[in-house]
Amino acid sequence: MTGSSGDRYGRAVVAVGGSWRTATLRAAFFLCLWLVLAGANPADIPAAAAAIAAATWTSLHLLEPSRSRRSIPAIVRLALLFLYQSVVAGVDVARRALDPRLPLRPGFVFYPTGLSRGVRRNVFTTLTSLLPGTVPTGEENGQLVYHCLDVEQPVVAELAAEEAALVRALYND
Amino acid sequence: MNVARDIITVAGVSAGVFFFFAGTVGLLRFPDTLTRLHALSKADNLGLGFVVLGLLPQTGGLRDGLKLISIWMFVLLAGATVSQLIARTARQSGSGK
Amino acid sequence: MTEFLTAAVGLILAMLGLGLVSILRGPTDADRMMAAQLIGTAGIAVLLLLGTVTGVPAAVDVALILALLATFASIAFVKKGLSRLETDGADPGEDR
Repeated sequence: MTGSSGDRYGRAVVAVGGSWRTATLRAAFFLCLWLVLAGANPADIPAAAAAIAAATWTSLHLLEPSRSRRSIPAIVRLALLFLYQSVVAGVDVARRALDPRLPLRPGFVFYPTGLSRGVRRNVFTTLTSLLPGTVPTGEENGQLVYHCLDVEQPVVAELAAEEAALVRALYND
Repeated sequence: MNVARDIITVAGVSAGVFFFFAGTVGLLRFPDTLTRLHALSKADNLGLGFVVLGLLPQTGGLRDGLKLISIWMFVLLAGATVSQLIARTARQSGSGK
Repeated sequence: MTEFLTAAVGLILAMLGLGLVSILRGPTDADRMMAAQLIGTAGIAVLLLLGTVTGVPAAVDVALILALLATFASIAFVKKGLSRLETDGADPGEDR
């Protein structure tokens, strides 16, 4: 979890960089996080140093520096899209829950993704789990299986748009 | 100035309470495990987001505000991750039908 | 403002309680595990509000810890569920 948020904020500026540069940027991100969460107290320096070292090591271990090109405007757009979609998703669920007729047509939708297995696909499912009316429920035969509140929504088209935004932001190689 | 801040707080926290309400209504009314998961993960995340937004003007300083936002972002990412893991388990154990 | 925030705390706690009752009824383990998710969002909202109402900044730290614990609890549950499915010979759905 810390690894992926470190990836999003600490490493956004790395296009093609050495692992030292990545490590420094991630450590700087964790230092900022420590300062926000625990405050700047001289007595905390040993604990902070240990925590930052452990966090940086763990994030490098779990999430290797990526070689693909990142575009900051596209990342900002992706973040805004994510926030906007999560608001729409909440409103959508609230509308369905409070409607006396309970308008639900739940079912599964299969989505063939172009993203490779592993980190990229997991980032995509995490992003799309907050899309309106969909929750990813794993995969079958290489396709992602989404559970939908309403199978008549244009779910596949929305997912494809989200995937395109993600590729533009992080995986443009 | 104070009035404007209080208005933001009242609006944000009220919206937050509304979405928690909607999430709970969804939990009570939706028919099966996976649809209830939708209600929980989406409405409640938004509820917390609005509560945080409403509390921001009441914080003492920049650090406190950033701390609230970091907690919210952590809960958002954790919720997005965990809800799909729970959904996967629910589908594979065959209870999602 | 204090009265308003206290009322909001009461309402969210009521929602949390109702949600817990409905989730813990089941019928499956996945339903019950969603209780951790519910506490992980509604509980945190309550703690953040209480921290502001009572002027106790430590409540925010408690909220952070609660968020971490709720996440780890859910991941532990999913791990356990998946390993049980694996022993049944079903597709464990690897890749995480």
